[in-house]
Amino acid sequence: MNASDHNRWSEDLAAYLLGALDADEAATMERHLEGCERCQEEMRWLEPALQTLPEAVERQEPSPQLRQTLMAEVRADVREAESRSAPGRSRRWLLKPAMGFAVVALLVAGVVGYEVGNGGSDAGGKATTLERQVDGLAVKMVQEGESGTLQLSGVHQLPPDKVLEAWVEREGQVEAVPALFVPDRNGQAETRIADMNGVAVVMVTEEPQGGSDQPTGEPIMQMEVPS
Amino acid sequence: MAVRREKAERLADEELMPLVGRKDPEAFEVLYDRHGGAAYSLAYRIVGDRAAAEEVTQEAFISVWRSGARFDAARGSVRSWLLSVVRNRAIDFLRSRAGKAPKLTFDDDAALEARPAAERTEEEALHRETAAEVRGALGNLPGEQSKVIELAYFGGFSHSEIARILGLPMGTVKGRMRLGLEKIRGELAEGLA
Repeated sequence: MNASDHNRWSEDLAAYLLGALDADEAATMERHLEGCERCQEEMRWLEPALQTLPEAVERQEPSPQLRQTLMAEVRADVREAESRSAPGRSRRWLLKPAMGFAVVALLVAGVVGYEVGNGGSDAGGKATTLERQVDGLAVKMVQEGESGTLQLSGVHQLPPDKVLEAWVEREGQVEAVPALFVPDRNGQAETRIADMNGVAVVMVTEEPQGGSDQPTGEPIMQMEVPS
Repeated sequence: MAVRREKAERLADEELMPLVGRKDPEAFEVLYDRHGGAAYSLAYRIVGDRAAAEEVTQEAFISVWRSGARFDAARGSVRSWLLSVVRNRAIDFLRSRAGKAPKLTFDDDAALEARPAAERTEEEALHRETAAEVRGALGNLPGEQSKVIELAYFGGFSHSEIARILGLPMGTVKGRMRLGLEKIRGELAEGLA
C-alpha cells in the first residue's frame, strides 16, 4: 500500500472511532484494520483521545432513586436465579409474545432440517456437526467435547451500533453467550460456546453494542440441539 | 457467594468484573457507586433530560449486570467500556426519539465546582482533574473541529449526516474529526510527558 492509499484509511479512522461511519464503511474499515498494523497502531494512539470525551461532559448527579431501583432489580435477579433452581420454572424468554411465533416455527424447522455428521452425537471425542438452512442463512454447529462452534453464513451486514449475540437454553434457563460477534464481509459469522453441556436450544439475535441482558428481537436463527 | 461490601470496595474495577459476572450484587453496587455518576452525566449529555438519562443509565447498568463476563480487559478500562455501553444505549434512545436535537455546549465548569464537597472522594477528585484537562483540550479545539466531534460522539450523527447539517464536503468533516482527535491526543501526551 502506498502513502496515498494509507492516507485514505487514516482519514476514515477518526470517523470510525467516533462511530460516524456508515455501516458498510465501518465494516470495510474493520476488515482493513485486521490486516493493517499501521492503522492498528494509529487507532491505539487515538483511542485515549476518544476515551476522554465522555469524561468531558458536565457532571450531573443521578437521583438516589436510580440507585435504589437499579439495586432492587439486581437483587430481584439474584432471588429469581435462586428460585429457578427449583423444578417447574418457566421458560420466560421463550414465552415472550413477540418471539413466540418464531420460536415455534424454528423449533419445527430444526427437527426436519438437521443433518448430523461425523459420528452423530455420541461422546467418543469426535466432532458432531449439525447443519441446516433457514431463509438463506446456513447454520453449522460443530460440537466437540464440551464446547461448540456456531458458524453462520449469509448473514446481512449490521449497522455499526449492532452486534450479534448468541443465547443458549439450558435446563429451562436462557444464558447469553459471553462473546459478541459480527459478520465478516462475506456474511460469515462465528462464535464459540464454551459449555455445551445440557444446551437444548441455540439462538442468535441482533443486539445493541455491549449486548443485551435478554433477547430483544426476533432471532435471526434458532436451532434445537439434540441431547 | 457475594463478597462483603467492604472487601468489594478494596478491589480494582478489573477485579470486580469477574464477581459481577458471577452475579455478585455487592461488587455490582461498588461498580455503580464508582461510575454511576459519570454514566448518568454522559447519558444526560446525550439525551438531554433527566428521566430519559436515568432510564438509559439503568438499562446500561442492567445490561452490564447481566452480561458482565463480556468485559475484555485487553480492550481498555472497565470505565471506558462501561461508558461506551452507556453512550451506545443513549444514542439508540436518541434515534428512537425522532427529532430530538443533541445539546452542543460544554460550559460545565461551574456545575462541576458546585458539587458538594462530601462527594469529592480521592478517586472522584482524580476523575475531576482528568475531566478538567480534557475539557481544556476540547475547549482548545477550533470550533469547527469540536463541532464535528460533538455531533458524532454526542449526537450519534454519521459523517454524511454531519456534512449535510453543516453544508460541508464529507472529506472535510472526516478531516476535521481526525485533526480534532489528534489535537486532543497530542495534548494528553504533552500532559503525561
